[in-house]
This record gives sequence, C-alpha cells and structure tokens, in this order.
Amino acid sequence: MLTRDRQPPSDRAFPTFITLVVLGILLMTFHVRLEGGGVVNVLRTGTQAVISPLQRGVAYVVTPVVEAAEGLGEIAGLREENRALKAALEESQAQLIAVQDQLARLDLFEALYGLDELEGDLGRTVANVIGRPDPLDAGLIIDRGTSHGIAVGQPVVDTNGFVVGTVSSVTSVSATVVPITGSREALAVLVGSQIGRLNSQVGSREMVLEIPDAKEPVLAGTRVLTSAQSVLFPAGFPVGEVLEDAPLVTSAVSSTVLPFVDIDTLRIVVVLAWPSDPLSASGQDEIQSDVPTTTIGETTTTGQGTTTTEGGS
Amino acid sequence: MKLRTPAVVFLTLVAAVVIQTTLFGTIRFITPDLVLLVSVLLALTRIKPELVLAITFAAGLMVDLIGSSLLGLRAIVFMSATYIALRTRERADIGRVATAIWAGALTFVGVLLLVLLGTLFGQSTILGEHVFSRLFTIPLANMLLAFLIAPILVRIVDHNPAALRY
Repeated sequence: MLTRDRQPPSDRAFPTFITLVVLGILLMTFHVRLEGGGVVNVLRTGTQAVISPLQRGVAYVVTPVVEAAEGLGEIAGLREENRALKAALEESQAQLIAVQDQLARLDLFEALYGLDELEGDLGRTVANVIGRPDPLDAGLIIDRGTSHGIAVGQPVVDTNGFVVGTVSSVTSVSATVVPITGSREALAVLVGSQIGRLNSQVGSREMVLEIPDAKEPVLAGTRVLTSAQSVLFPAGFPVGEVLEDAPLVTSAVSSTVLPFVDIDTLRIVVVLAWPSDPLSASGQDEIQSDVPTTTIGETTTTGQGTTTTEGGS
Repeated sequence: MKLRTPAVVFLTLVAAVVIQTTLFGTIRFITPDLVLLVSVLLALTRIKPELVLAITFAAGLMVDLIGSSLLGLRAIVFMSATYIALRTRERADIGRVATAIWAGALTFVGVLLLVLLGTLFGQSTILGEHVFSRLFTIPLANMLLAFLIAPILVRIVDHNPAALRY
C-alpha cells in the first residue's frame, strides 16, 4: 500500500503545530512592533540578497520566453493594432509640433521673467520587473538595488512617467516595489486646483479620491497628479483619471480614480532619486503621512497618522 | 545518504520560490502558488510529520521575507494547510485525480486563510486588485500542477520510484 512506509501523524504533530503557530504570531507581533525595521529588515534584506541572484538568473532566461509566448498569443490583433497606432502616431506628431511651439514660447517667457527651475532633473534608474513575491502579493521585484542607487522610499514611475508605487525594501541587486493600489498609505494628489488624497481599495484597481476641503465639484475625466504636498512623490506626476462626476456635498468631494498604470503589464519601471535625502524623508514619513488637508490658496494643518485614522476622520 | 533528503527538500523549496517569483510572477493568467503546493505535497512523503510542519513553516517564512507583507503570515498559513494535509493525506492515495483535487482543496484553504489573516492584520498588499478571482484561480492552477508533479516530487524526495504508483 502507498502509505505503508509513511510516518503516521504522531502525538507530537499537534504540539509542534501549536508551537509554530505561536512562533508565527510572535514574529508578526515583532514585525508590527518594529514597523518592519530592525531585525526584521536585516532578515528580509539578507534573504533577498541570497535569492536575488537566482531570481535574476532565472528571469534572464524566462522573461524572453514568456514575452515571446505572450506575443504569439496576441499576434492575431497585431495587424489591427499596428494600423491604429499609425493613425495615433500621426495625431501625436501634430500635437508634438504644437507642444514644441508652446515650449518655445514658455522658454521665451521664462527668460523674460528670469525664472529658474527649483529642482534640477531627477535622477532616474531604469529597472526591469523580474517577478512578484507571491500570486497574492501586489509587490513587484525589480533588478536594481542599492548598488544602482536605489533606496527605500524612492518613488517609482513607468516609462511614460505614470505613478507606479514606492520602493519598500532593497538589497544590493534587487528591490521590492509596492504599488499605490496595494499601499496602506494615502497619496496626496492634485485634482484640478484642489488637493485631495487617494486610498487603495480591497480587491479593486480603482482608488478612492477624497477632497476634504473641496471648493468645486470634480468632473469625470479630470487628470489626477501628484501634489507638491506629497512626501512620497515629487509633484506633477500623473496618477490616473477621475471615473465619475462627484458633486460638492458639505465641502467634501468623493469619487473613484482609475490609475493609468496597469501593474500586471509592467515590464520596465523607472525609480526616481527623490527626495535627494532619503533618510530625512523616511524620518518625515514616520510623523507625517502623505495626506494633506489643505487647499491651494489656503493654509491649514497637515493630516497625521495612518490611512486608517485618516479614513475615519 | 542521510543528508540527501534534507538537501533535496531544501533545493526543491528554493527552486519553488525562485520559479514562483520569476516565471509565475510574469505570467498574467496562470497563477499557481508553487511554494504552497510543494508544502502540501510534502505531507505525502515519508518525512516525519513534525519535520514537515517545520519545513513548511520555514518555506512560508522565506516567502514572507522575499515579499513585502507581514513576517510570519505565510509561515502560519502554509504550515496550517500542511497540518490539514497531514491529517487527510489518505484521501489523496486513491489516484492521481484525487491527489490533484486534494491539493487544490488544501490550496483553497490556504489562500482563504491568507486573505482572512491579511484582512485582520491590514495587509493591503495581499488584498489587491485580483484577490477575489485568485481565490479560485490559484487552487485551480495548483490542482493542475499537482496532477502533473505530485508523484514525481514524492518519488524524488523519498528516493522511492514506486511511490504514488496508484
């Protein structure tokens, strides 16, 4: 019989099970108490440092094969897509000429008024997405780490500049990125001339937009950008667009936003070297979340605490 | 000789973690949980049940350390699924299809437990866009994989070519 050589579940199996459950709960408690830092961070970085080279090696072989297989699967629609892209290209070229004209005018006005950029160009590190930690984990593993200038907390965008997420942990050759749709932290955003916050939702790509001190309703299709008050992202990066009209109700507006980035299709991301001093920024995050409660032109206080607290307030 | 089984188990789990995070991390439609599957299938081997529990706890911990969520979460989930597997493994002996269904059902239990614990501990990275669909697609994918790899895995770990020949 198949089971003749197997060890039967002995009396020790249940005590072992209970002991390990207790150990697991202790680990979770340590993690929560240490807020992911200390020993937990050392363990995490160490494990990732060991696994990363293997992941990179396998990804080097696997990624082209997967992409080829996906390409073959989509070959039927490529001809039609090519035709649509040609039309879109012509339209974009016309728009580009118009934008170049506007940029030339902008340069002229900046020169006239003696305006300078407050910050220079951000350092950008292009990285490949080499995998995910788990089928249920929204995080992305990228093939760039501290040896390429990546640090925890740095913002990540896609090749179009659309917001992806932030770096949550990093080793010398790899890093894990938590997308905004899977993050507990609310994101301070600019919607038209108003500042609001974006929160992720369980089981959905759409995010909830809340503008506590709204002055006007929000219309569907409005682009949502990162706010200058954000401590997670530099200002002006596109996040998504408002899905439905939201009327002004008791000085607050709430709507849903669909992020521009589809995390499942990401193959390449860009990590921004922002802020210039990541240590001070991470310290700032501990006392101040990414949520403001101010409106342009008015000065009030800044939101505090975690998303849960803010959501409840 | 005695070191052969631990070495095989260790290499199998590391391979499962690497394949899970790379190959299955880039494929959009097929999303098995290979580490959970290997953990469950270890219950079919001749390794002592206490050791199997400890091994699967370590495997879950490894996935926790690679990911971005709470440390210990998957360790408890994988080990709990394996504990149920140890208590019900006779049901998997009927045939290859039974083994596959058994592994799929245990995967469903594991994924459900992970989502429940993730909700309790506020792990928003686990409760992402596809959480509800993946409650079903992961067990289905694991069922298919178990059908293909369960006998081979048990034979390799046990060094017994006659294992799981239904």
